Amino acid sequence: MGSRHFLPPATTQSIVPTVAPMASATGGELRLVDRCIDAAARDALTVEAWRRQRRSLERLPAQLADALFRRLAARRVLFPSLLEVFKWSVEEVDLSGSLAVDAEWLSYLGSFRYLRVLKLADCKNVDNGAVWSLAGMNTLKELDLSRCSKISDAGLRHIVAIQSLEKLRLSGTKLTDNGVMLISSLTNLSFLDLGGIRITDKPLRSLQVLTRLEHLDIWGSEITNEGASVLKAFTGLRFLNLYWTSVNHLSVPPTMRCLNMSKCKIHSICYEDSEAPVALENFIVSEAEFGNIDKVFSGIQADSLLYLDMSGCDLSNLYFMEKMKNLEHLDLSSNRITDDAIEHIAKVGSNLKYLSLKGTGITSQALCVLAGTVPNLTSLSLSHTKIDDSALAYVSMMPLLSTIDLSHTSIKGFARAEVNADKILSMSAFEHLKYLESLNLEDTPLSAEVIPPLGLFAALKYLYLKSDFLSDPALHALSAASNLIHLGFCGNILSSSGLLQFVPPATLRVLDLRGCWILTGDAVSTFCMRHPMIEVRHELMQELKANSVGRSQLKARQSQQAKAKVANSFAGPSRLPNIRFVDERIKYNKEEMMELQNLVKPNSVMHGVRLPPELRRLT
Amino acid sequence: MVGKGEAPAPRDPEEEEEEDTGGVVKLISAEGFEFVIDKKAAMVSNTLRNMLTSPGGFSETRQGEVRFPEISTHILEKICQYFYWSLHYSSGQETAEFPIEPEITLDLMMAANYLDT
Repeated sequence: MGSRHFLPPATTQSIVPTVAPMASATGGELRLVDRCIDAAARDALTVEAWRRQRRSLERLPAQLADALFRRLAARRVLFPSLLEVFKWSVEEVDLSGSLAVDAEWLSYLGSFRYLRVLKLADCKNVDNGAVWSLAGMNTLKELDLSRCSKISDAGLRHIVAIQSLEKLRLSGTKLTDNGVMLISSLTNLSFLDLGGIRITDKPLRSLQVLTRLEHLDIWGSEITNEGASVLKAFTGLRFLNLYWTSVNHLSVPPTMRCLNMSKCKIHSICYEDSEAPVALENFIVSEAEFGNIDKVFSGIQADSLLYLDMSGCDLSNLYFMEKMKNLEHLDLSSNRITDDAIEHIAKVGSNLKYLSLKGTGITSQALCVLAGTVPNLTSLSLSHTKIDDSALAYVSMMPLLSTIDLSHTSIKGFARAEVNADKILSMSAFEHLKYLESLNLEDTPLSAEVIPPLGLFAALKYLYLKSDFLSDPALHALSAASNLIHLGFCGNILSSSGLLQFVPPATLRVLDLRGCWILTGDAVSTFCMRHPMIEVRHELMQELKANSVGRSQLKARQSQQAKAKVANSFAGPSRLPNIRFVDERIKYNKEEMMELQNLVKPNSVMHGVRLPPELRRLT
Repeated sequence: MVGKGEAPAPRDPEEEEEEDTGGVVKLISAEGFEFVIDKKAAMVSNTLRNMLTSPGGFSETRQGEVRFPEISTHILEKICQYFYWSLHYSSGQETAEFPIEPEITLDLMMAANYLDT
């Protein structure tokens, strides 16, 4: 109680400003822990240095060990015998997609004492023999062998010895009915993914004993209506994926919440022993066909639906949506609906957060109907529709929008009130959308004069532009976009000098310049040097990278130069780099000439001319 | 063994310091080596900040010293350097990266984790 004397209210308030910058210093910047993890996983030499100090990382807390393991894996500096040091500390391992992982790796992983999660998706070299090492792991709860295409029934015999398993992913493996029958002995399973395995009705029946099962994925299987009739006996099932099966009539257990029947021909969905409508929350029926759509939806409780994906269903009217007043996510892309159907969306729009009308037959008139009826909408896709600039004013009346996709439309960026009247910049309407973070305007006939308003959208972080009409001034106008993280500026007429004169916003991390065909390798690499924080995407980048990574002895020199250039660009942005630029151009041409004449191999050219590696073009 | 190590003081300490951030604390390593640092620097560590600012106060912090029987001297020294580096870095006085030698990365990682920094 005496402590109160030290902290009277007045003092507490005055502490706040002194604490706040401190928090940002430790929270905003990398923490020392993260710096250490990063340093420890820098390269093979670093690993060797700390490994010599300790044989085992026994005392390392699991979350640190996991983070370090992840970083080492991402940097590809892990190797089988190094795994040994993590034996007593790591709890989660994700080596998905690593082709190096084979039987030797798994023999080490199999001895990990506390491993809970092992993800080996797409590890193509994991085979039946390799998973033998996992058989005795009684701490393992989650195993992912998705698309490990060498795993078949023989391998599964080792897997079913892991009685502790709760989550098992086996999609895209070579299992057959016989293998799947074995899974019934894993009675702790709550999550089972058998997608893409051509199982028939018989093994599905054997899985009924898995009473804890909540998630079952059997897309692409050969289950029939008769086989599906056992599904109602899975009394804990919440998620079921029947994508691309021949199931038409489905009776589900009362626990069912998420159902995927995309690419199915659907006739009815119901509970077995009750007339009550099924209380689904997520219903994904992309590219599905319906026997009688009103009948199918009469079996589903309309106001329980939150998420409905009906893309590519060939719908022309939306009467069945009438009572779905709690919908949050609605995907109607690639349907035949026109402006007439929009009133049905407007009626159920009050909770909508996501709406896609991509590739439908709607026009700007549809937006006029929607405006004001979707107050909670945050994401709207109108791409591949017939809308024009008059739609933008209505879109700007949806106050919470943060993502807008207007690609492949005829948005020009300006409108005329009357013929011969002055142009009005239609894009300025979006200035009211104070949460607008992502705007896609790819493949629209925008002209450069309408770009400057985009720079003024305060919250804009992702902007995608792709057009044949934009050039240097358009890019330069975007220097003003103060929060931009990703800028797509594809297929435009951007010149090399235009790129070099561009002052990117300080927040920019990705600049996508693909298809800007006038740009030279010199310009792209010079820009990269000046702005090391920005990832530039361009067709020439691969060549530039190949040249700099290809020869390790040149790497050090290159990074020195990169540093020097960065330093230069900080010191005086205009003078020094320009001199270098001219200088390098001469060398570059010389090298290219020599290559063309096949006088010398690029390697020896390198040594002779001492060319900066980032500028060589070998192909 | 008891020695005395002074980490470099910040270049311009604030003229008027809060009672809570002013003053110094003594950090004592496993070997008994003492580091005296500004309280402000110690607050870079969330663990130390909690100790130093919690109303009741931990018994050890009331005397202005914290013992780390698990952290060896050379790691604690590095930690103290980081505290000051972090202060300078966030105020823009320091732009160079904080150097971490390969040999100490794991020990430093564990100490940093304990100190929540």
